[in-house]
Amino acid sequence: MTNKISRRKFLKVVAGSGVVGFGVMAAGCKGDPSGAQGWIPDQYQGKGDFPVNLKGRVAISQDNPSIERDDEKCILCGQCVEACKNVMGVYGNYPLPLKNEVACVGCGQCTIACPSGAITEKRNIQDVLAAIDDDSKHVVVQTAPATKVSLGEEFGMEPGASVGKKMVGALKEAGFDAVFDTCFSADLTIMEEASEFVHRLTKAKDEIPHLTSCCPGWVKYCEYFYPELMHNLSTCKSPQNMMGATIKSFYAEKKGIKPENIINVSIMPCTAKKFEVGREELQVDDQRDMDYVLTTRELAVLLKHKGIDLNTVAESEYDSVLGESTGAGKIFGATGGVTEAAVRTAYYFATGSNPPADLLSWQPVRGMKAVKEANATIPGVGTVNIAVCHGLENARQLLNGIKEHGSKWQFIEFMACPGGCIGGGGQPKSSVADIKQKRIAAIYKEDNSSAKRCSHDNTEIQSIYKEFYGKPLSEKAEKYLHTSFVNRHDRLF
Amino acid sequence: MAVLVDITKCIGCEGCSVACKMYNGLDFKAKPRNIKDGHLELDDNRWTVIQEFHTANDSLRFVKKQCLHCLEPACASACFSKAIQKDEKTGAVVYYPDLCVGCRYCMVACPYSIPKYQWNEQFPQVAKCQMCEARLSKGDAPACVSACTTGALISGDRDELIKKAHEIIASDSRYVNHVYGEHEVGGSEWLYISDVPFEELGFKQVSDTPVTNYSKSYLSKVPFFAAGWALFLAGLTYYNHRVEKNKKNQDDENKDKED
Amino acid sequence: MKVKVYKCFRILGWDFTITPTRFVLTGLVALMAATVLLRLLTGFQFVTNLTDETPWGMWIAFDVMCGVALAGGGYSTALLVHMFRYKQCEVVARGALLTSLLGYILVMAGLFLDIGQWFNFWRPFVSWGYTSVLFEVFWCISMYTTILSLEFFEIITERVLVKKLHRHILKILPVLVVIGLVFPVLHQSSLGGLFLIMKEKMFPLWWSQFLPIYFLMSSFFVGSAMVCVETTLARTAYGHEIPHEIMLKLTRVGARIMLVYLLMKIYDLFSMDLWGYVFQGTLQSNMYCLEMLFGIIIPICIIISPLRKTRGGLLTYAWLTVLGVIFNRLNCVFTSMYESGSYFPGIGEIIVSAGLVSLGILIYCFLVENFNIIGNARAVQVKIDKDKDIKNLIWALLRTKRH
Repeated sequence: MTNKISRRKFLKVVAGSGVVGFGVMAAGCKGDPSGAQGWIPDQYQGKGDFPVNLKGRVAISQDNPSIERDDEKCILCGQCVEACKNVMGVYGNYPLPLKNEVACVGCGQCTIACPSGAITEKRNIQDVLAAIDDDSKHVVVQTAPATKVSLGEEFGMEPGASVGKKMVGALKEAGFDAVFDTCFSADLTIMEEASEFVHRLTKAKDEIPHLTSCCPGWVKYCEYFYPELMHNLSTCKSPQNMMGATIKSFYAEKKGIKPENIINVSIMPCTAKKFEVGREELQVDDQRDMDYVLTTRELAVLLKHKGIDLNTVAESEYDSVLGESTGAGKIFGATGGVTEAAVRTAYYFATGSNPPADLLSWQPVRGMKAVKEANATIPGVGTVNIAVCHGLENARQLLNGIKEHGSKWQFIEFMACPGGCIGGGGQPKSSVADIKQKRIAAIYKEDNSSAKRCSHDNTEIQSIYKEFYGKPLSEKAEKYLHTSFVNRHDRLF
Repeated sequence: MAVLVDITKCIGCEGCSVACKMYNGLDFKAKPRNIKDGHLELDDNRWTVIQEFHTANDSLRFVKKQCLHCLEPACASACFSKAIQKDEKTGAVVYYPDLCVGCRYCMVACPYSIPKYQWNEQFPQVAKCQMCEARLSKGDAPACVSACTTGALISGDRDELIKKAHEIIASDSRYVNHVYGEHEVGGSEWLYISDVPFEELGFKQVSDTPVTNYSKSYLSKVPFFAAGWALFLAGLTYYNHRVEKNKKNQDDENKDKED
Repeated sequence: MKVKVYKCFRILGWDFTITPTRFVLTGLVALMAATVLLRLLTGFQFVTNLTDETPWGMWIAFDVMCGVALAGGGYSTALLVHMFRYKQCEVVARGALLTSLLGYILVMAGLFLDIGQWFNFWRPFVSWGYTSVLFEVFWCISMYTTILSLEFFEIITERVLVKKLHRHILKILPVLVVIGLVFPVLHQSSLGGLFLIMKEKMFPLWWSQFLPIYFLMSSFFVGSAMVCVETTLARTAYGHEIPHEIMLKLTRVGARIMLVYLLMKIYDLFSMDLWGYVFQGTLQSNMYCLEMLFGIIIPICIIISPLRKTRGGLLTYAWLTVLGVIFNRLNCVFTSMYESGSYFPGIGEIIVSAGLVSLGILIYCFLVENFNIIGNARAVQVKIDKDKDIKNLIWALLRTKRH
């Protein structure tokens, strides 16, 4: 409650009112009506039904776990509608009247598009800081591959600067008890998903085409708009949640910590992850896999709050047991990366030997083309037709084609955000024109410089299967690493 | 000028309330959202709000709430200093703060309880939707209508909109056969159509008689009553005067006789 | 009868009596003055509990609505005494006039505090919102207060100012009385008329197209009841005895009106088919039943029973009627619109209301002790050296504040 009393105002009103009042009275007029004191963008001039370039804004419900909006800052520029409608194919693609949900896949592209900072991710910084300060909690953090090539931007570094090791150092300084690499669980995902794909190719042909499921934005989109394709989705959890489930089971057991005392935090380029971690399907033995998700932007805020400068912080290595990664895990952050990583391991599973050089630098699935097509010939399996799609509006068009004509592909990778995770809704805002290409280039550079390029070569992966999961698709792996989906179609249609 | 609200087309983006805030220079931050009975309520800095309703058959509906700009506005009729007036040309019910005394009779009189008050101000004023009267007189639509992207708000001539509303209702069996605001307390410039019964969406059930009728018919009788009463009293005074005088005369005469 | 005699200061020929009660009252007035200052300078936020759900609070419901109704004693007595020649009742007329005048001045003060842009209070004189019932109320109350002041001036000029002026006022007094009987009838009824426009908001038990008539009638019968209460209080304070017969005569007229009021209310219940609401057991219906039972039915029973012949019985009738009308006004403003929000007056509102009433009592006491109002002719007979100038009065009043 603001106290609006000032002597000046008081005197002004009292003295002014007399003079103005008598003036008004004498002139027989009534003064100005209240309101109309503000400003409104140009596209709102004229009659309401004039066609304009951009206007309005997206609907964000109060309980949206991914994003929120401060009405005080909104300037009705229409950029969020542009992102939601033309890039992500959500806004305007459901019928009116509404059913019982405000459609949002949580991708967060609107937070990137919003020029006034009105739309932001729903922040969890305070929760995480509180968890760090709570001595009874063991706070574990994992970092997604795409954040390693973008966090530097928030500290004034060149676009595409690779700051993985510095980030680990910063997180340790910030007080996290253990820092793990989501690239490790990406390798784990590949082990499961490649096995699942090979299984589907050979034994469960009705589940072909195999659709990837590591992007939560895409998964929710599929649940909303294409429930008939839900059985084609890979049942694998996303790398983030595989990591979370492994931490609260394998790691907890190994360290002798009660799972309920572990707080799982992840650093993600993504706002949809904030929705994903709340899914009921992603609970094992009544334990949530993940507790909090921080976006890349939030991490930058958190580090600055703690007075940690990424430019000067000492580099550090990921903690062991769940810290080793291969090039395959790293390329998860770019569009086509999941496909390339999966093919590398599928090739190994089918042939028993590592793939040839062209599959280790598989150009057809790389780059920013909306829908990329490729085929891989794997001895013993044959030729696999593959499509890679990013941006949900592109996905919508592709899937509508599949609904009409059937699929000529056996494997399709979907990423909600343009460019994949490196273009995620939780990434630093940038006006650099080819920012996505620069981040992608940095990702592939990391892959190239990795000693190991294939997931199955990861020694920690090998040992975790030996010690805990047995083999891919084992009963234990199904329990901890696989999930199910919810039909959300009738909430919109 | 009137506005037709098609509740089935609203997605709850609240762009209208932000447009209102921006155009009218209102301060959202001044107070936290005023939630009453689970619904966002109007206040002195929120001249229009979107209320969220989960209906009986589990569907989500958003209802835009603002001044309905009655054809027979109770607030304007109740104002004893003409601080609220219905604009002849545009139909907007407009508040002129310079004329306002601050008695708040308008707030009490409004059948929909729309006018709000700046309780935290040193010299508080009434706050209510002005239907962007300045924009209307230029031929523009109200700010909220301009900001609506889904076509839930349409502005235009009232008669045409009523016709259009009935056409929409006739063409789609999902709609409730009722245009809220066509007759309510004498009709209003803002009209609503919906596929969910209006009672479920917090619309007040009111009679079709304008509430101003009651005070009007009372006030029309007052001058006659006052004149009649004054005449009666004057007559009575005169009569009393004569009685006194006669009595006095009689007394005098008696006195004289005695003398 | 024994009257306790307190110390009486005589300053420039004016009597100032200081009693412990008056000391407390003066304190309340001082507290009120501070609150009023705060209110006028900072708005409503720190002083009142008013909200958008209950825009009208204690100041309107109690200070204005009840104040005006209770001040109805002035016009109802004047009507009986001057028009219908209840000559025996003339002894109470002056007292009733004074309480009415004080009542109205305090009502105006309360109203002034309750309006948000108080520097704009004069607007309705210029910008005529003639469609508003409040417009009529505003004009009538303003005019009536002026008339009352003029009528009271007659009493003032008995003692101060030139006697010539007194003769002039005496001459126009009959005209003043007639005008002074038109305005209160108009605005008493219009106070009820204010609620006509709230048809869609009020609980059906209170809304009726006869509201103006109800308010007029109730102000009439509460007027006589109020006079009864006042004279009893004045008797305790000043030993000013009014014969029981006179009081009974006054109140019986009021009671007859009350009976008509009750019949009309019952007619309303039938004509609008509201019996269901009366016994539905909700807050509103219970309040309605309480109001009708204790404010109307029991007083009527008292007045038709032999109880009326006792002083206590008559006083009970008067008190019940007064409280009943207060209850009715509060119900109209609050209970009938309870659905729209709950409200309890803020400490500031209570202080101001109490302070206004205290101020009224203090002024009443001072005037009664110095002018011939309730039959203490002594006040006029006292020879004063410098009674030729109104300055004395003001000067003396200024001095009172220091005690």
